[in-house]
Amino acid sequence: MAEVVLNQVVKTYGNIYAVNHVSLTVADGEFVALVGPSGCGKTTTLNLIAGLIDISGGDIYIGDRLVNDLDPKDRDIAMVFQNYALYPNKTVFKNLAFPLQMRKLSKAEIEAKVMSAAKVLDIVHLLERKPRELSGGQQQRVALGRALVRDPRVFLMDEPLSNLDAKLRVQMRTELKRFHQDLQATVVYVTHDQLEAVTMADKMAVMNGGFLQQYDSPKNVFDNPVNMFVASFVGSPAMSLIPLEAVSHGTDVALRSPEGWELPLSAANSRKALTSTTAKVVLGARHSTVRLHKSPTAGAVPGTVYTVEPTGDVTFVQVFLGTSVVIVSLDPSVMVEPDQKVWIEFDQDKIHLFDGATEMALAAA
Amino acid sequence: MSTLTQTSPRPRPRPKKPIGGWRWAGRGILAFLLLFTALPMAWMVITSLKSQLAALQYPPQWWPEEVTFENYILLLSPNNAVGQEFLQYFWNSLYVSILSTILGVAVAVPAAYAFSRFRFPGRQMLFFSVLLRNMFPAVVFLMPLFLMMKWLGLVNTHGSLILTYLTFGLPLSIWLLKGFYDNIPPQLEQAARIDGATRFQAFFYIVMPLSSPGIIATAIYAFIMAWNEYVYALTFLNSKDKLTLPVGLQRFFAEYATNWPGLMAASFIMSVPVVVLFLVLQKYFVRALTEGAVKS
Ligand SMILES: Nc1ncnc2c1ncn2[C@@H]1O[C@H](COP(=O)(O)OP(=O)(O)O)[C@@H](O)[C@H]1O
Ligand SMILES: [Mg+2]
Repeated sequence: MAEVVLNQVVKTYGNIYAVNHVSLTVADGEFVALVGPSGCGKTTTLNLIAGLIDISGGDIYIGDRLVNDLDPKDRDIAMVFQNYALYPNKTVFKNLAFPLQMRKLSKAEIEAKVMSAAKVLDIVHLLERKPRELSGGQQQRVALGRALVRDPRVFLMDEPLSNLDAKLRVQMRTELKRFHQDLQATVVYVTHDQLEAVTMADKMAVMNGGFLQQYDSPKNVFDNPVNMFVASFVGSPAMSLIPLEAVSHGTDVALRSPEGWELPLSAANSRKALTSTTAKVVLGARHSTVRLHKSPTAGAVPGTVYTVEPTGDVTFVQVFLGTSVVIVSLDPSVMVEPDQKVWIEFDQDKIHLFDGATEMALAAA
Repeated sequence: MSTLTQTSPRPRPRPKKPIGGWRWAGRGILAFLLLFTALPMAWMVITSLKSQLAALQYPPQWWPEEVTFENYILLLSPNNAVGQEFLQYFWNSLYVSILSTILGVAVAVPAAYAFSRFRFPGRQMLFFSVLLRNMFPAVVFLMPLFLMMKWLGLVNTHGSLILTYLTFGLPLSIWLLKGFYDNIPPQLEQAARIDGATRFQAFFYIVMPLSSPGIIATAIYAFIMAWNEYVYALTFLNSKDKLTLPVGLQRFFAEYATNWPGLMAASFIMSVPVVVLFLVLQKYFVRALTEGAVKS
């Protein structure tokens, strides 16, 4: 296993930046998820690490070797593709054997390694079948097996679970995590599903528009999103973002809504709000940190229930505060109805403040 | 109708009659087509089994009173002049057809792959200009090609025919194979390259086997075209020992004008390789034209 270092990596197509000066270090044995919406440059980044496309700028190291100009076959990596990319005219056995044959291993060695990988993945009974005779989940295992048969320095995975049905996806998620723990493998895992990233990864790299937005542990990304994009992308349901206007009352700052209510900020939050480049400040709050009152309460602001979505464990309620929506999670025993008037209370220690112009998180000066 | 369906809640069986009618009409047309194509061939075989005298009788003998294989024996035995000549033509045809087929595949496969996978300047235009050739009837190129062959010193060589057949066969071959490569996900090659293959090995071990139905189909097509071609062979070749079968057969027609059974026997022998090729490989041919490489 080895670490992977990206240093100011750039990939351009014409004058489009698919990957824009991305720098990050994947430590040896770490599971890193590249996450972001479709088209943000995840696959391109992964293909650059794999060497499947030429790099336009910057450096990539695997271990301590600069691999910019190395062929994929010389990078000692393994990859699992979204569509599995199993060789359709080869049996499962031959699919697993191919990487070993290419490395000129002896027949006996190949047999032994294929069998042991097949045992780990529980696909021994499938070895003589062709890929098209397998279910989606079985194909997924074979694809994983093909990556596993040799001990590559890095595993690259491009949305490996997104073609599975929901139940199988959850199951494979657990298995993948287990597999990473057992092997202590360096894994770079691409997904558009932030939940996959949060649940599996040691670190997540959130990308948008070719830029790396934030690179940190899932907990830190969740607790301290660096900007509004990350805040709204990570977490489900998404963080509620409410655009407001900062007004000063001496050293205290309050956030005023277009409807006229004001939310006084704590001293710490006031200091943050003052660092904003404009008076526009966006208030962010996760559903679990927001409290809902059925009658007027000091420090709470008025709103109207829009929808009520019971999920069993919790009920999600969307509340309109003027024109913006706040999502609140409630105990299912609490009854609210659409169009009901309610009062929303924010936890001053848990809210996030963003600069309305730059969309960056505001930190105390 | 509407009242009927309302009163009976169960779905009524759909009326079968018109469907059956269409099916029978279709069968009728197929039977007619079969007769239309098979009868001349049957007549060819029957005539080839007659003696010279029997063939010229009127009214014709529908079935030869005396079946004889002497025409075949004459054509296929290298011990007489007719046999020697015929076998020479046969060999010439085989040589020209096989070589244009092999060269055709050898050029079409990498060309089609390049058109499918690589983005290079002028790609669209080049591809279009490859197809452009197929928009004109072949005879249009007869004189220009003859002059070019003369200039190249290739007139009256098999090379002139091989080159010509290549230019005729390649557009369709490239176009068909490109369709195949377009259908093969690039991730397969990427996977192979990560698994330790070079670009060429990825193509050779993974992509090419997947396109084998297409390769076989284009090979059959190229072979049959070269095997049957007449006008260019007639124009480019003049020494007797170089002639291909279609032109050579015409000589039979001229020199042995009255020998109908001999001509029919020669025609039958000429059609054998094509028929055999087709029977053996037809499943690939059908697959190539209907399915493409990898069903998604
Ligand atoms: N071969 C290509 N030619 C031109 N643009 C491309 C090519 N591959 C990717 N792109 C562009 O680069 C951007 C990032 O693509 P990709 O890495 O596939 O996104 P993701 O995997 O995050 O969905 C997209 O805008 C895409 O259109
Ligand atoms: Mg992608």
